Amino acid sequence: MSKKLTNLEEDLKKNQIEIMLYPSKCDGCESEGFAACVKACESHMAEKYGSKYAGARINIKKKGNKFFPLICHNCDEAPCVDACMPGARYKDLESGWTVTNYKKCVGCWMCVMSCPFGAIERIGKDHFASKCDGCSDEDTPKCVDACKKGALKRIGIKNYSYERRLSVAKKIYGPYIKSIAK
Amino acid sequence: MKYVIIGNSYAGLSCADAIRRFDKSGEVVIISDENYRAYARPLISYYLEGKTTEETIWYKEDDYYEKNNFDLMLGKKVVSVDTSAKRLVLDDGSAVNYDKLFIGPGGTPFIPPTEGFNPDSPMMGTFTKFDDAKKMERAAKMSKRKEAIVVGGGLIGLKASEGLRALGLHTTIVELLPRVLGLALDEVSGNITSKKLNENGIDTATGETVTKINLDESGNPVSVLLKSGKELPADIVVVGVGVRPNVGFLEGSGIKIDRGIIVDKTMMTSVKDVYAGGDAAVIYDVINKRPNIIAIVPLACEEGRVAGTNMAGVYREYPGGMGLNSVEIYGLPIVTIGLTNPSNETQNVYVFQDDNIYRKLVYDGEVLVGAILLGDISGSGILSAIIRQGLKCLKYKDEFLNGNIYSFVIDNEFEIYNINEGYAIRGDFEDLPEFSRTNWR
Repeated sequence: MSKKLTNLEEDLKKNQIEIMLYPSKCDGCESEGFAACVKACESHMAEKYGSKYAGARINIKKKGNKFFPLICHNCDEAPCVDACMPGARYKDLESGWTVTNYKKCVGCWMCVMSCPFGAIERIGKDHFASKCDGCSDEDTPKCVDACKKGALKRIGIKNYSYERRLSVAKKIYGPYIKSIAK
Repeated sequence: MKYVIIGNSYAGLSCADAIRRFDKSGEVVIISDENYRAYARPLISYYLEGKTTEETIWYKEDDYYEKNNFDLMLGKKVVSVDTSAKRLVLDDGSAVNYDKLFIGPGGTPFIPPTEGFNPDSPMMGTFTKFDDAKKMERAAKMSKRKEAIVVGGGLIGLKASEGLRALGLHTTIVELLPRVLGLALDEVSGNITSKKLNENGIDTATGETVTKINLDESGNPVSVLLKSGKELPADIVVVGVGVRPNVGFLEGSGIKIDRGIIVDKTMMTSVKDVYAGGDAAVIYDVINKRPNIIAIVPLACEEGRVAGTNMAGVYREYPGGMGLNSVEIYGLPIVTIGLTNPSNETQNVYVFQDDNIYRKLVYDGEVLVGAILLGDISGSGILSAIIRQGLKCLKYKDEFLNGNIYSFVIDNEFEIYNINEGYAIRGDFEDLPEFSRTNWR
């Protein structure tokens, strides 16, 4: 985290909370046998939505030696909201997160078909599309709490946008940008 | 500023939301010819199945209109639009003035000329509105032999038959094309779908049409006669062939119409201050690279939003959309994206098939232009994003076919997020301009 930026505490207070990913730090918790974030999410969702709508909203995908936590990126004009036929998915204006009213979800899978990150999962057995709600009613998202590797971080929107910009710039101009991260 | 919106469904409401985002005080009037507040129209078949109810079929929350300060006029049909005087005439003779108008009338069911079809009969009808579903619910109770015929094997027909089957009727789908969902699916996937339907008590008569509906003395159906000469018993006949843009009331308004309403990049019609969107608008099809009517929910919302933004005075362009659809038939999820039945020889098709899963990819050179996923649809959104953007991804062909669609996201997103190395991130820079110290800044 850069020192020049707005104070993180202040950012978190004033703005909506985002989850920033640092995939290079993720090792899928391979030595533990299970992914800590997935497990934490699973139990929290069961608590929050009941056993019918349980199941982890975060997923670790592996390719070669790279791990990537698949999680909702909370798009501004979210394609999954546009695609939702029953109107079950909507933008919660208070928290700024795209959330789901599972009672309305009928399992048409339009959102699964529209999510460009593949972050929405089809639960065929119980007929609903499960999506991360950002734990917007919690202080810290449970997956962030559980991650001991530093691959997930809770962050305010200003810092989030800064980190994203920096990372895109790094992708393009890599060696010429001095690292202010950490 | 007075905004008037014709159509109280996906396009119209998305337009109203966009207007409210930029104009907090303007007057917004929404006109609908139905007597319900906005409901999830494609869900009427789920209503028959009981998966959605009278409580959950509503598209927006109960206080949506009051909260956003929208005036809702229900049960009012617009009969004509006078674009020079900026006035609408309703069916009760009253007039509504507007400063900016959005037209999102959707489609009206198309009924092929069939001898004996009588929409006034309680046992016959189309299947696009909530009232249609309620009519079929009543008809199913009255039906004695529990036999139903659904004309049309597209999405409407398929969902209607699923709903009727759930009400305990033996249903037969009569489809002109050689397979169900004929425009979206290919032969293999069509057959898998048909098999699934047949297993669940829905018969499919493909390559057939209904030539005549035999009626009893009160005008209700008894049986239908097929082109092949076969006669099938029928208590209920549902026609779900498709919809045509509902643009009849725009005659004489000066708005340019060619099948649907012609719009420009800002979703404005040929007349200033009149915008259009949804199932009745002709938009740019990014896959076929020509103007086209694409009647699906996601695009209706996008079009409505772009139109509403422009109506509120904030310039925004619509880049065009593509056809894609998702449906589940008795536990078998089906996703079709873009061009699924290529006619061009330069387009290559790659297929993966095992017992429960079918995947088909259509490539035009290195660019993915279409896909069918059956059985396993996880990650299908990544494919639709790739197809819509026209990304080159031939090297991912095998991974996509094996269902490992996430590898594309991992490769691309990983590099973008990966900022901890403090060092160059190796990626694919083919599309980026040559970079050197001298041309930077």
